[in-house]
Amino acid sequence: MEFFIQQLINGITLGGLYALIALGYTMVYGVIQLINFAHGEFFATGGYVGVILLSFFTGLGYMDTHPILCLAASFALTMGYCAFLAVGVEKIAYKPLRRQSRLAALLSALGMSIFLSNGLMLTQGVYDKAYPGELFQGGVNLGNITIGYLQMMIVGMTIFLLFGLNILVFKTKIGMAMRATAQDKVMSSLVSISSNRIISLTFAIGAGLAAAAGIMVGLYYGSVRYDMGFLPGIKAFAAAVLGGIGNITGAMLGGLIIGMVEIFGAGYISGQYKDVFAFIILISVLYFKPTGIMGENIDDTRV
Amino acid sequence: MRKKLFVALVLGLMVVPFIMGTATAKTLKIGSMSPLTGPYASDGTDIKNGVLTAIQVFEEAGGIPGYDKIELFAQDTACDPKQAVAAANKLINLEVVGVVGAYCSSSTIPASETLAEEDIPMLTPASTNEKVTDRGLPYMFRLCGRDDDQAPAAAKFLKDSLKAKTVFIVDDKTTYSQGLADGVSKACKELGIEVVEHDHVNQGDKDFAAVLTKAKAANADIFYMSLQGYSPGALMALQAKRLGMTSQIVTQDAMFQPKFMEVAKDAAEGVYLTYGFTDTTTPEYKSFEKIYVPKYGPIAAYATYAYDAATVLLQAIKTSGSTDPAKIKAEIMKMDFDGVAKRIKFKANGDSGSSYIAFKVVKGEFVPYWSPEKGLLK
Repeated sequence: MEFFIQQLINGITLGGLYALIALGYTMVYGVIQLINFAHGEFFATGGYVGVILLSFFTGLGYMDTHPILCLAASFALTMGYCAFLAVGVEKIAYKPLRRQSRLAALLSALGMSIFLSNGLMLTQGVYDKAYPGELFQGGVNLGNITIGYLQMMIVGMTIFLLFGLNILVFKTKIGMAMRATAQDKVMSSLVSISSNRIISLTFAIGAGLAAAAGIMVGLYYGSVRYDMGFLPGIKAFAAAVLGGIGNITGAMLGGLIIGMVEIFGAGYISGQYKDVFAFIILISVLYFKPTGIMGENIDDTRV
Repeated sequence: MRKKLFVALVLGLMVVPFIMGTATAKTLKIGSMSPLTGPYASDGTDIKNGVLTAIQVFEEAGGIPGYDKIELFAQDTACDPKQAVAAANKLINLEVVGVVGAYCSSSTIPASETLAEEDIPMLTPASTNEKVTDRGLPYMFRLCGRDDDQAPAAAKFLKDSLKAKTVFIVDDKTTYSQGLADGVSKACKELGIEVVEHDHVNQGDKDFAAVLTKAKAANADIFYMSLQGYSPGALMALQAKRLGMTSQIVTQDAMFQPKFMEVAKDAAEGVYLTYGFTDTTTPEYKSFEKIYVPKYGPIAAYATYAYDAATVLLQAIKTSGSTDPAKIKAEIMKMDFDGVAKRIKFKANGDSGSSYIAFKVVKGEFVPYWSPEKGLLK
């Protein structure tokens, strides 16, 4: 039982991270039907900007006096930076191709992904970058079960961001404009919604969430490296598809399922099969329900 | 008209390198193969830097008679067998005299067969799998040790020094890491150490929570991790500590990287690993350190072996005064000198012997701890 609960905690942590990244894929797809393969790189860039900022604060000595404030500032600045980066990427690589075939934009996305990850490698080096100090190490021990403070923080932050996003999309005017653009770009522009603005905003929000996931991964695993965006990117994409691409709640659910299946597959069967199980679940769900778990009312709620 | 002029100018510029190429005198070309991108880019870059250091030393000592300069063509294998073969073909087309590399055994093995077709000598600084030299290729040399020497040394260390009764083994399924893990598993069984479980993870994973939770529940005396590169190793050690795993971590030569401690921090303390013994007090090592460290940073796993490999190759070309592979080989077989990493003397199959000892991480440094012959080192 202890073993099960410990693995459950591990699974929720990993699943939460996948969910945060998956949201970016699903939101962008919802609005312009593009699978933004460069999204994993926003996540990696977030991890790097985070380590740079935190090292800077540590160097100034603020990290010892105001740890929470420094962390909050790092999160805010990193998310802002990656949001700008994503808007720039969209303007350079996707906007000129918006009237071309979808394949052209897809290839452009792949190219952007390679460009960004190699850019990180050339500017930041091939070695792992360690996050400074012992931030929020340790945890609570309940018998044989260990819940790390970082795990709690990741789950807490994830829930906070997901709630915030839900409110933004479903309760605000901007959210309404986003949903309107997702449904019908021409119609929404007739009621004076600037689709360019909304598309930029969608990219910015998705990349901001991925950047938050990047810092959390850096804190949790203790280091970042330039190619860290690739594998989580693929997994999060799978999570978005599993949940029904274009659907926000679906992406969250998909992320949690992929994370759990991976951890339980590795825990109860063998570590080498964890990816196999994650993708078996994906294939079998798509076989019976090609739109994904939540992908039914695709036209109403997608963003 | 302007357009034509422009085209003529471009064509003219394109020809320049060829004219320059024929005008300058002879360049000695050597190749290196190692992963310069991908997950093992750091170790691969160390290898390239080691070779560059050797070239620098030779050029400062007056170069090689008959050549104006020595040029390195560093190829990226990405630890991918297909790319390694492509890199080997490229080096053949560039007409290199010899090759230092590759890093991953799974790259070295196919690439060496391609190079063997043209009789180009290949000296690997880092591939420890037995098959590298066991296939009887005439121009294959190895500077590092062999897995079938490392595995028994590790098992003996577990039994004699750590008094282990049970061990939990994890590898990440490369030719090197899985081969070594299998070897350790076999050697442990022979010595009467129980292998509780032998699990695998995937290359590129960052999250090892599931496997580590399993290992914690198994509660073996030893947690042996055989991973390709320091990066997953540091993450695994860090996560193991966080989960509160009490098994002693023992690992292998791929972790011999200062970055391992930098990333794993406290979790690296007290970790044991087996690695070829390098005497860091020799004059050879000190002079290498003096050139390498200011230019490329701390000396990591395979920079010294790569330096020695390039030195062997260049020295053989220099003394034989020829680029003929048979003559180079004859010179290499005659060599017997103190390199930076170890004493260099090749056996008939191309191996140069193993010298595995156990190191312990103490205060962020690798400290020699135990040797199979002498027991505890102090």
